[in-house]
Amino acid sequence: MPDTHFYRYDDYDRTLVSERVDQFRDQVRRRLAGELTEEQFKPLRLHNGLYLQLHAYMLRIAIPYGTLSSRQLRKLADISRKYDRGYGHFTTRQNLQLNWIKLEDAPDALAALAEVDMHAMQTSGNCIRNVTADHYAGAAIDEIEDPRIWAEIVRQWSTLHPEFTFLPRKFKIAITGSPNDRAAVRVHDIGLRLWRNQQGEVGFEVIVGGGLGRTPMIGKTLREFLPKDELLAYLEATLRVYNRYGRRDNLYKARIKILVHEVGVEKMREEVEAEYAATRDGLRLPAGTIEAIARQFAPPDLPPRPATAGRVEAQRLSDPDFALWLKSNVAPHRVPGYAIVTASLKPAGSPPGDASATQMEGIADITEAYSQAELRVSHEQNLIFPHVAVEDLPQVYRSLAALGFAEANVGKITDIIACPGLDYCALANARSIPVAQRISNHFASLARQHDIGDLKIKISGCINACGHHHVGHIGILGVDRNGVELYQISLGGDVDFGRTALGTILGPAVTADKVVETVDAIVTTYLDAREDGERFVDTYRRIGAQPFKEKVYGPL
Amino acid sequence: MAKNLTGDLQVASANRLVDGIVVWLDEAGQWTDRLENAAVARDKRNSEILLDRARAEAFTVIDPFLVAVTEDDDGTVEPLSLREKIRASGLTFDAIAADAVRYA
Amino acid sequence: MALYSEAGLPASYVALPFADWKARPQWPAVSLANTDPVEDLAPHLGRLRLIILDFPRFSDGRAYSQARLLRGRLGYRGELRATGVVLQDQVAFMLRCGFDSFESEQPGFGEALAKARSLFSVVYQPAEDDQVPAALRRLAHGNAAAS
Repeated sequence: MPDTHFYRYDDYDRTLVSERVDQFRDQVRRRLAGELTEEQFKPLRLHNGLYLQLHAYMLRIAIPYGTLSSRQLRKLADISRKYDRGYGHFTTRQNLQLNWIKLEDAPDALAALAEVDMHAMQTSGNCIRNVTADHYAGAAIDEIEDPRIWAEIVRQWSTLHPEFTFLPRKFKIAITGSPNDRAAVRVHDIGLRLWRNQQGEVGFEVIVGGGLGRTPMIGKTLREFLPKDELLAYLEATLRVYNRYGRRDNLYKARIKILVHEVGVEKMREEVEAEYAATRDGLRLPAGTIEAIARQFAPPDLPPRPATAGRVEAQRLSDPDFALWLKSNVAPHRVPGYAIVTASLKPAGSPPGDASATQMEGIADITEAYSQAELRVSHEQNLIFPHVAVEDLPQVYRSLAALGFAEANVGKITDIIACPGLDYCALANARSIPVAQRISNHFASLARQHDIGDLKIKISGCINACGHHHVGHIGILGVDRNGVELYQISLGGDVDFGRTALGTILGPAVTADKVVETVDAIVTTYLDAREDGERFVDTYRRIGAQPFKEKVYGPL
Repeated sequence: MAKNLTGDLQVASANRLVDGIVVWLDEAGQWTDRLENAAVARDKRNSEILLDRARAEAFTVIDPFLVAVTEDDDGTVEPLSLREKIRASGLTFDAIAADAVRYA
Repeated sequence: MALYSEAGLPASYVALPFADWKARPQWPAVSLANTDPVEDLAPHLGRLRLIILDFPRFSDGRAYSQARLLRGRLGYRGELRATGVVLQDQVAFMLRCGFDSFESEQPGFGEALAKARSLFSVVYQPAEDDQVPAALRRLAHGNAAAS
């Protein structure tokens, strides 16, 4: 088995996961025997990742900080075949969802996951969820420090935390180690941003109370600079304040963002700092602990490879699709001669973010051959090979093309983020996947997509915003009026390049059959108005909503 | 022609505990995965009775509830709401097949 | 409602509700709502023999924080009892937060309590029990080799 360059379980980790599987197996037995009511059992199964959807249970498998090995991916393919219907969905929180799991099989599926050091703990329920991080971590040119070191530290601290397992509501943490925030830290309950101060020390900006959903909010800075070894003490203080004072009277007002909004960030800071002052000694991380974990994330030894390669240039000139793929799906790597490659899980007309078991195995093959056996999941529902030699790009492209994952559309209009929507989810008001498919088919032309440039469409089937529509350049929200699916369009959302903005609703919601022409009208308006290679979102900011409104709804 | 614009026709539905699949209560008080075998209540009083029966049989399912349906002249029963239509008939698009690999 | 205690015989004081106890703080037993400020008990903890904390719904986890503050921050050493909706599947968390007695209606609770401490031999974070977090155990023997 190839050595991984991220956290490797030791016997302690394995024992904990195994004991958890045993516990859940017994809880399932008791539930099926009628010794537990559904009310008593529901949080237990949520805390083990099992969430009831329209048609079946869904198992949400944790992929900590979106990082997994080829071996782990093969096991996921296996599990999807053995216990599910042979495919899975990569989510906006870097996890994998299997949609057709049986409760009676769940303990065995979890035991199978444990064989490759994986689990589904706390991926649902009112507890601390999977900690997400920059999907380019360890490879990005602009990285100050690998955020996954801290994501792993937080993962351990938060797992089966006895005080914080019954919070007012779910709790999501994201970490970036780069000024170009690829983890959307400002729309999480806690966002952590590593930065270097004037003294040259690296610490965290702690951002609190961001989130999407019914009341979207951008997080506020709780602490400008927190020394790294104080992270757990500060988090524990924040969670304790939330656990004590977060609202429990109203499900829709129970996130920490509401608490921050209602008491104000100054009061919140006062409470957290007081709590932190009292507890910090007990949770200060020993240097040895930090080093031991940091060492596991040491980047792989990447032997020097040429920064340009003859055959890459030759293919770039002769193959227009490959040329476009190089532009959109390949990003620079901190080591010369290497690149970061995104496999687009958005082939035209396909459900965004889905992969079959066979495709997963194909990805695992590429990962082993060309990416140091390591793969990432992005919060935009794509997969990333973090360490690919430039010379290998043609083979990687060819291998991805054979899987259907070589569409040159990363960041483009058909790189759509969509929640499962009413096809799967009991919370949804409308379907999102068929809408994504229709838009993606309409704009399938690669040349046109690259002309349009960077444009992120994000689709949510309901106000819970699992599709992150608030931060889409074009956001689409499914609503229900008298049993008819309608779609509300918003423009100008953003989470890229360190900038977080919430979109503004354009006008009245449109019917499903009008969505494509509406998006088309918006794109046309942009193309007509853009200057100097502006991106869509830049043109929108410059000219405002009016021209778009008029094109979509007619002159006012 | 579909009848039941006023929502009088109801069936009882739930998700089965052991595997989560969608089931409906049949005339014999058993849970069936086929909507065409569902017991149909034709007025408010019988709907209440149907729901009570469903709750009495709830040991093997999760939280039974009533679903408004239409009935064609030939007796074909279909849910009124889109959500329940999807619950009854599955995904509205082709999911990726287990062995799917597309060749460029 | 049956009473279970890890340490043998549970205390048999009549506990005063917090508002009443504040008028008679020399009384050795008090029961708190999960919104009552545990900090107010601080000057009297030496006298208190029994504090009862409440789980109005088992999904309402405020008493876990109250328990940890009483044991950890404020150093309370008397009996700490959980009441309300107290179920065997949460008892391992309650024990870690410092509870040592329980009022529960659930069949089989006593057996589950007896086994609760052996459910998890590994924990990741310190709490109010004596389990040593994995990080410290790793440091203690020079970071156990990954397999």
